[in-house]
Amino acid sequence: MLENGVLLSVKGLHTWYELRKFGFIRAGYVRALDGVSFDLRYGEALTIVGESGSGKTTLLKTILGLVPPTKGTLEFAGRQVDAKNLDWLRRQVGYVQQDPYGALPPFMNVRRILLEPMLINKVGRPAEREARIREVLEEVRLVPVEDFLPKFPHMLSGGQQQRLVIARALVLRPKLIVADEPVSMLDASVRVEILDLLRRVQRAHNLGVIYITHDLSTVRYFSERVFIMYAAKVVEKADVREIVKNPLHPYTRALLAAIPDPDYENSLRFKDVPPGEPPSLVNPPPGCRFHPRCTQMIPGVCDREVPPEFEPAPGHFVSCWLYK
Amino acid sequence: MADHALTNLGPVTETPSSSETLLKVKDLRLYFRTTKGVVQAVDNVSFSLGRRRSLAILGESGCGKTSLARAILRLLPRNVHTFSGEIVLDGVDLMKMNDEWFRREIRWRKISFVPQAAMNALNPVLRVGYQIAEPLIVHLGVSREEAYKRAEEVARVVGLPVDFLNRYAFELSGGMRQRAIIAMALITNPPLIILDEPTSALDVLTQANIMNSLKDIKRKFDVTYILITHDIATSSELADEVLVMYAGHVVEHSPAERFYKTPMHPYAQKLMASVPTLREDKQLEFIPGQPPSLINPPKGCRFAPRCPKRFERCAEEPPLFALDGGGVAKCWLMAR
Repeated sequence: MLENGVLLSVKGLHTWYELRKFGFIRAGYVRALDGVSFDLRYGEALTIVGESGSGKTTLLKTILGLVPPTKGTLEFAGRQVDAKNLDWLRRQVGYVQQDPYGALPPFMNVRRILLEPMLINKVGRPAEREARIREVLEEVRLVPVEDFLPKFPHMLSGGQQQRLVIARALVLRPKLIVADEPVSMLDASVRVEILDLLRRVQRAHNLGVIYITHDLSTVRYFSERVFIMYAAKVVEKADVREIVKNPLHPYTRALLAAIPDPDYENSLRFKDVPPGEPPSLVNPPPGCRFHPRCTQMIPGVCDREVPPEFEPAPGHFVSCWLYK
Repeated sequence: MADHALTNLGPVTETPSSSETLLKVKDLRLYFRTTKGVVQAVDNVSFSLGRRRSLAILGESGCGKTSLARAILRLLPRNVHTFSGEIVLDGVDLMKMNDEWFRREIRWRKISFVPQAAMNALNPVLRVGYQIAEPLIVHLGVSREEAYKRAEEVARVVGLPVDFLNRYAFELSGGMRQRAIIAMALITNPPLIILDEPTSALDVLTQANIMNSLKDIKRKFDVTYILITHDIATSSELADEVLVMYAGHVVEHSPAERFYKTPMHPYAQKLMASVPTLREDKQLEFIPGQPPSLINPPKGCRFAPRCPKRFERCAEEPPLFALDGGGVAKCWLMAR
């Protein structure tokens, strides 16, 4: 296995959901994901930031093989993913859900929850399975393991539930973990603990991790590379520090300006926020999708032509006509 | 926020005097009966709040902050075990009122409430405009036409386009629905508005937009806010004062100027240290362990088992000590 090779390669991925009237008349498409390309290497962590409806969860579902892409290709560990090898793909990808309580079956205890993926995928013999369960529980620090094995999800705190979800994602020894807002439902004092844990298992197993969030302030505690999504497209890709210091896309700038750090001064001034809301993805605006809300819109350009990706600084990509 | 066409929303006190007390809460207790025992959700809480000030109540889930709001509003479930103390609003002791009197004279007229996730609780079969106007019609007996006129005014104040008033809730985005709820809270022109997690379900930009509107309203009208949230960074957008709760107790009440820079109580310090910041690099911390059960809370300081600074005296319950530069903290370290 190439340790520095490409683990996941996404090219021109489009995922559209069909809209129907009365159940059978075609009424257009929701373009939830509209042309996304990137490569993720083995052991690399990547964060995708976007608001609700920006397509980040659809991207994740497409990567997990839960929704078939409309156009574009997905390559995992050098193999093209299609309908035939989805089972193989899902064994390699662990999924950490947003709401731990909703993601854990209430009628199964911890042992059964961790055993389930191995039974479904026919992994190992009973003794090996038992050993694997203990191993992952220790890894996520649900110790002493003996105390936790018979417990049911409602007996665990929110942080412990999220640890269990991570343990379940790890139990098949995946190469990639996708985490959909893993800390947004948790209290501040627990969030850091969970992000630390994800980071630690990522390093220990050389895992690829895709972390999806709407909260830019947690990003720098997790990964170097960050993508900003707006209305089904990736608008900016760069290093976290670079994005915070030198945001290029007007949307990224607005997003950064809107995030408060705890500071009394915040209450003394108004925030500079673009008016309006993200566009409908059924009839997205022509040209750049941010142009109706953008203060630096160039008439005749931004509202006509879709901006390609420019690279104004090495490793910093932005889809905006200002950087042509 | 230049796009806010602000109209006269009602009588505005000419000069805000922060010294005038609007709300005073003393020794408030709210205990619930459960099958496992009595839960001491709010235990001996005292604080006062000046007119036109805004108070942020911070704490983790289960610390009693929503129970405190519900106690002030007397929106109580059936399993109340103890509900005692003093709540004085504008010089009137609310605890002496009977329920019917409280409902008629206080709710909406004097205090309005924006509950958590209220935007999902709009009635799906009534137009948004009617729902905004309803408190005026029901509580103040205003005529329909006049109430609708006022609804248009408050909609403008909160940044809700007036033609949205004819729509139904499902035709509005989350941010617009939240604005409708805030408009509803404003329409009766109450002196006190309690907001329970008003922006936590919204996107970052929408959240910033709504915070802008709330600030704008506060500058222009005679309102006092109580903002209940677990999001410390966002609370700093609105707070003049901060009250931190832990396990049913108030552990610190400080002016915001100082609190966000130097919290005094060890719990507040740990909480601040766990907030990720965008602009500065800092080593994040987390608080090991869990808050105690409120059924049989530990004797002494309730934070002591998790506190890095605990010493012998913490076995005894600390009183609230006054701090230099205003505020109080419930910690023996503040004793002199």
